[in-house]
Formats: sequence, structure tokens, C-alpha cells
Amino acid sequence: MTATTLRRLIVIGLIVLWEMLPRMGLIPELFLPSLSSTLIAGWSDAAEYGHALAVTLYEVAISMAFACGGGILLGAVVGSLPRPRILIMPMVSSLYAVPLVILYPVFTVWLGIGSESKIAFASIYGFLPTMLATAAGIQTIDPQLLLAARSMGATLSQRLVRVIIPAAIPTVLSGLRVGGALVIVGVVVSEMLISSAGIGYLISRYRTILDSPHVFAGVLLVLAMAIAFNAGIKWIERKAAIWQTGSRAGQRAADELTAGAIQPAT
Amino acid sequence: MQGLGVKAARIAIVVALFAIWEILSRTGIVNPRLLPSASDTLSMLGDLLQRASVRKDLVVTATEVLTAFALAVPFGVLIGFLIAENRYFADVAKPLLFFAFSIPKSIFLPMFILVFGVGFAQKVGFGFFSTIFIVIMSTTTAVESVKVEHLTIARSYGATQMQTAFRVYLPSMLPVLLEALRISMIFNLTGVILAEMYASRDGIGHQIATWGENFQMKQLLAGVVMIAVIAITFNELVRWVETRCSHWRT
Repeated sequence: MTATTLRRLIVIGLIVLWEMLPRMGLIPELFLPSLSSTLIAGWSDAAEYGHALAVTLYEVAISMAFACGGGILLGAVVGSLPRPRILIMPMVSSLYAVPLVILYPVFTVWLGIGSESKIAFASIYGFLPTMLATAAGIQTIDPQLLLAARSMGATLSQRLVRVIIPAAIPTVLSGLRVGGALVIVGVVVSEMLISSAGIGYLISRYRTILDSPHVFAGVLLVLAMAIAFNAGIKWIERKAAIWQTGSRAGQRAADELTAGAIQPAT
Repeated sequence: MQGLGVKAARIAIVVALFAIWEILSRTGIVNPRLLPSASDTLSMLGDLLQRASVRKDLVVTATEVLTAFALAVPFGVLIGFLIAENRYFADVAKPLLFFAFSIPKSIFLPMFILVFGVGFAQKVGFGFFSTIFIVIMSTTTAVESVKVEHLTIARSYGATQMQTAFRVYLPSMLPVLLEALRISMIFNLTGVILAEMYASRDGIGHQIATWGENFQMKQLLAGVVMIAVIAITFNELVRWVETRCSHWRT
């Protein structure tokens, strides 16, 4: 049996177990409602979930613009200038050790419990990793490429458009992937903590009344959102793969980054 | 390695940030009720550390974090080791692990409350859950960082299992494992504090959430500074050990 078939079997097995174990009463329905009852709960309140999804997506979109835009821009600046890099990068990565969740109460005091506090929190949550990934990736641009371009008399704008941007695309994309995933987490977590709308709020509300099928329907929705986002970025990465030929090293570094240090904490 | 100037500049940046904070609040550019001055916050921090209730909360959180850590690390290292050592098993499990790794863990927090109730077990469980995947992933990376040539040489010179484990595996894996330890501690701390903020009766995360709800800005900011300092100190400590051990890496 090949590894792929076994893996598929495991996944199918898990889904079947999810349906069977609660049905046979091996796991109480309160702990884990069966897949079918979860889907039914989600379907019967589709309008409510749809409305919550719209709120969450709106917050995610705005925070992503802030987090990824700011993170990529600042990461590119810090990564390409040696002095600020040596000065700031270690500070930023020690800042990364701080559990940023504790900032959320501060934002709720400053901005209220509406969308603004979620957007502020999620932007900051996604900003640091995006910046770290971008700065690390910009550094890995092969200096030979830049040297060759300069020695052949390329102007600054030519170097930027023809060399730096194509070489940086894989990095920027991996930054986008990490930052985007974190932004989704940030929005949902802040909605779960204190809020009055959104999927996180629905999850928390149904949790307090111990309605587990509805809780799991919300969890599934967030999962679907995260998976769809990942798939979207992968699709763009494949589309941009043509550009990557010149920067294998950069790509590898970016891969290592996403695999290791910089991942959604919780 | 780094010049004294760089260190001085970093300290200057931190001091400047606190100074801006102080000035913004003192001159009233930002409402001092929303942003109490840095000096007030720091004196409140000193005050908080004197209080028995805050100390108790810190102890509760520390116990939860350490318990989750002590459970997650050996367990994760074991699974990671098994996966990395067997090629077939690695092929099967890796994509699944990658997937489990990339999905947000925090949305499963309500599930832990439904299963364990609100209490010690729920925090430890969630801390364990948010840490285990990163430990597994890092261990597989660590095992893969062992050079095959080193193993071959050790074997051909007739090294025993124990000798290979302690003379080859451990030294080459140590830097990666330390890095893993540092990152999993970050994940663990975040997980436990989030769980405390979400639903809890004690712990420092709960305390911070309460201060936020009651608009006690001074206490809230002092709590934020306190946790930040603790996290950064731990992080720098492990990093320092890391640089100490890096001469083992070949």
C-alpha cells in the first residue's frame, strides 16, 4: 500500500469515526457531536452563520490589508538595509515571544467591542510574522543577481522591477500566507473573547448554552475559511512559480521559515 | 560578536519608546485615563507584585504552563522521533501533521471547555494541544538534521546504539531541539493565557481580562508589561544557551 492511499484511508477513517463514535454513545454528544448533526445544525441556521461569516470576512479583509501591507513594506525596508536590520530584527523577534493575546483587552478599552478592536488586534497579530518573514526573505536574494544587473548598467528602477521584485515574490507570498493565517486566527479569537458579532461570537455564545452541534458548525466554518485561504495562496504560488527559477535559495529559506519558526501560535 | 554600540542603540530605542509613552500621557495628548503614564504603570507593576492575589495567579499560570510543557515535550519528541526514523511512516504522517499544524488551534478551545469544564485540566489540555504539533514538527526537523555520513562513520567504527544516540544524535540535534523548546514555550504560554482569558476563575490571563472589562487601565497595562517581560526574559535565556551550544553544530 502506498503512503498516499494509507493517508487517504486514515482521513476517511477519522471522518467515519467522527460520525460513528458519538452515535454509538462511546463519546458523549456534548463532547463531540456527530458529523451529521453538526452539519444539520449549521444548515438549519445557515442565515445566522452566513451573516456572522460576512462580519468576520469583512474584519479579516481589512486587517489583512493592514498586516500584510505594512508587514511586507516594513520587512522589505528593514531587510534590505543592513544597519536597521542588525539593530531591529533581534528586537522584533524577541517581541514575537510575547503572547500578544494580552493586548486585546487594551484594544477593547480603547476602541470598544465592535469591529475596530478586532481589526486592530488582528493587524498587530499578523504584522510581526509577516515582517519577519519578508525581511528574512529579502536577505536571501542572491547578491550575484544584483551584482550582474548593476555591472551591466541597470538603473535603480530596472534593478527593482527586473531583479528585486521577481526574486522577492516567493518570500512575499510566504509572508502573506503566514500573516493571513494569523489574521484569521486573530479575528476569530478576539471575537470569541469579547464581541457582539461574527463567527467567534457565535461559537462562544453556543458554548455557553452547551449547544455543541452549533459550536462545531462554527468551528468547521472557521476551518473551511483557513483551508480556503491556504489553497488560494498555494494557487497563486503555483501561478507565480515561473518567477521563482532565479531564487531557489530564497524559496528554500522561505519554506524553512514557514515550516519552523513563524507559524500561527495557537 | 555584536558591537557595544548596537546594544546601546537598542536600549536607547526601548527607553525612547517609554519616554514617548510618558510624554503622550503627561501632556494630555492622549487621555491619561486611556493611557496612564509609563511611570504610573511601572509603579503599579511594583504594587501588583506585592499583592498576594496576583502572586497566586502567577503561580497558578506558571503551574499550568509547566505541566502542559512537561507533558507535551516528551510526548511530542517521542512521536516526532518515531515519524522521522521510519520513512514510510513519515510519508504517511507528514502531510497530515502539516495540515494539523497549519489550522488555527484556538477555535478548539470551546471543545476543551465542553470536555474538561473550566479548570486546571482544561488549561493544561489546551496548552498541550497547542504545543504538541510544533514539538513533533521540530523533532522531525531535528532528526533530519543529523548527517547520514556521521551515522555511517559511527556505525562502521562499531559504535553501540547508546553511543550513537549520545555521541551523534544528541550533539547534532541539540541546537535544533533548543530552538524547538523556545518556540514551543511561546506557543504553550500563548495557549494557556488565551485559555485563561477565555473562561477561568484564576490565573494571570483571567486577571488581565478582568482588568480590561473593568477599565482598570493602570493594572491592565502593568499586567501586559509584566507578561511581556517574563516572556522576553525566558526567550533570551534560551537563546543565550543556544548560542552557547551552537559550537557543537558542524
